[in-house]
Amino acid sequence: MTHLKPILLGVLSFTVILLAWEAAVRAGWLNPFFTSQPTAIAAALAREARSGELARSTSVSLREFGAGFGLAIVVGLSLGVVAGWFRTVEYALDPFIWFIYSAPLIAFYPLFVLWLGLGTHTVIAISFLLSVTPITVNTAAGIRTLSPTLLLAARSFGARPHDVLWKVALPASVPMMVAGLRLGVGRALTGVVIAELFVPSGGLGSSIAYNAGLLRTTNMLASLMVIVVLGVICTQGLTAIEARFDSWRTGPGL
Amino acid sequence: MRSRALVSTVSVALFLVAWEIAPRLRLVDPFFTSQPSRVLVASVDVIRSGTLMHDATVSLSEFAVGFALALLIGVPVGLMLGTFPTLRHLLDPPLMAVYATPQLALLPIFVLWLGIGMASKIAVVFIGASIPIIVNSMAGVRQVERPLVLAARSFCATRRDVFLKVMLPASLPAVMIGIRLGLSRAVLGVVVAEMYVSQEGVGNQIMRLGSAFRVDHLLVYVLLVSAFGLGATTAARKLEERMAR
Repeated sequence: MTHLKPILLGVLSFTVILLAWEAAVRAGWLNPFFTSQPTAIAAALAREARSGELARSTSVSLREFGAGFGLAIVVGLSLGVVAGWFRTVEYALDPFIWFIYSAPLIAFYPLFVLWLGLGTHTVIAISFLLSVTPITVNTAAGIRTLSPTLLLAARSFGARPHDVLWKVALPASVPMMVAGLRLGVGRALTGVVIAELFVPSGGLGSSIAYNAGLLRTTNMLASLMVIVVLGVICTQGLTAIEARFDSWRTGPGL
Repeated sequence: MRSRALVSTVSVALFLVAWEIAPRLRLVDPFFTSQPSRVLVASVDVIRSGTLMHDATVSLSEFAVGFALALLIGVPVGLMLGTFPTLRHLLDPPLMAVYATPQLALLPIFVLWLGIGMASKIAVVFIGASIPIIVNSMAGVRQVERPLVLAARSFCATRRDVFLKVMLPASLPAVMIGIRLGLSRAVLGVVVAEMYVSQEGVGNQIMRLGSAFRVDHLLVYVLLVSAFGLGATTAARKLEERMAR
């Protein structure tokens, strides 16, 4: 029963929030113009699902997210491995990584629009730039902090540098890489949503901005709910992947 | 350490030189990319114009108020959630849902509720900064080692003593991590919120310059914000290291 308690309480809290929200609107304490209400949002979602609008905007956002995050994985992992392996490369890249990490990248969106056009490509670029930094930094850290014992053991069995890289350094830094991906996935999603608020691409963020412009709170919240669900799925999915990749460290028999 | 500074400086210098030369050789159009020399000229222009002070004051006050609220509310709430399991189980799922969502997606809602003035920006900063602070403070309390608490109890420490003298100091490093994560989200939050809709502030200025494609001036503002963000997180990191010792 003890492990059921958190789940029960969690379900309870969502139920209470939704019921209180609905009741407060019905009782006239909250103005539905500002807050909408759960039943209206559910109805709007059902309507959008039937008309295909929901699937369309979700798939646009997912495609942008996939492209931006996918690109960030490829670039971030390769840059990170190179930077972790060669000190000089790391030192040379460092200032740029810190700049991209701390700059309000969305400020560049007018430039991206000039370079890439108004729409999907700009969203992908912002999502990519936001998520590539933690992946690069973590991968480099993973490779660099390779345990000296492992390295010595490999060397004394006659491993050449590229053997060390492929057979020791890379597998040993998988947990760090996954941690980087975990940080990156949230930033990639944030990038897509922020960029879509500014750049009309037909995605969920654009739908929020569009409906906000028309003061259609219900539709705005409906798109927001889809984003919440996507966010939860992404984080939970990565937790599952993390548990799987990290299992070799503490697996049975060790 | 010296070689690190040297290599970093050289790489930045090379980048600046390439950026300066490429438009001169007509490899790229300076309208799209600007040039370091132009950015320098623009920065003098920005400082002289006097609008910078005003915009910076507006943005900084929004940032300061929002972040102070996040600290004042986030830390106690996080500590409380860490201490009382029932409360945590109750609030954890909605908290995690907000944590996993890009909080800036809430921006249009805040504008609808609070208007286009400073209040909606403060709300965005608050929500962006308080979530990592709450989550990390909560984790901090939970990872306090049980033997520490038991030892304190067996020396007849009251609940209050246990909290103030054991739990609080032991969870401080985690709280600090939350504060640092919150800082960078708060900086982004102010800028994005001002860019989305506002009448003044650095983000508003960035939006205007961007829409007018005045890339030189835009870059001055972007560099200023980045420097501020980098400075704030570096300071937090230093503080964190000092406390961890």
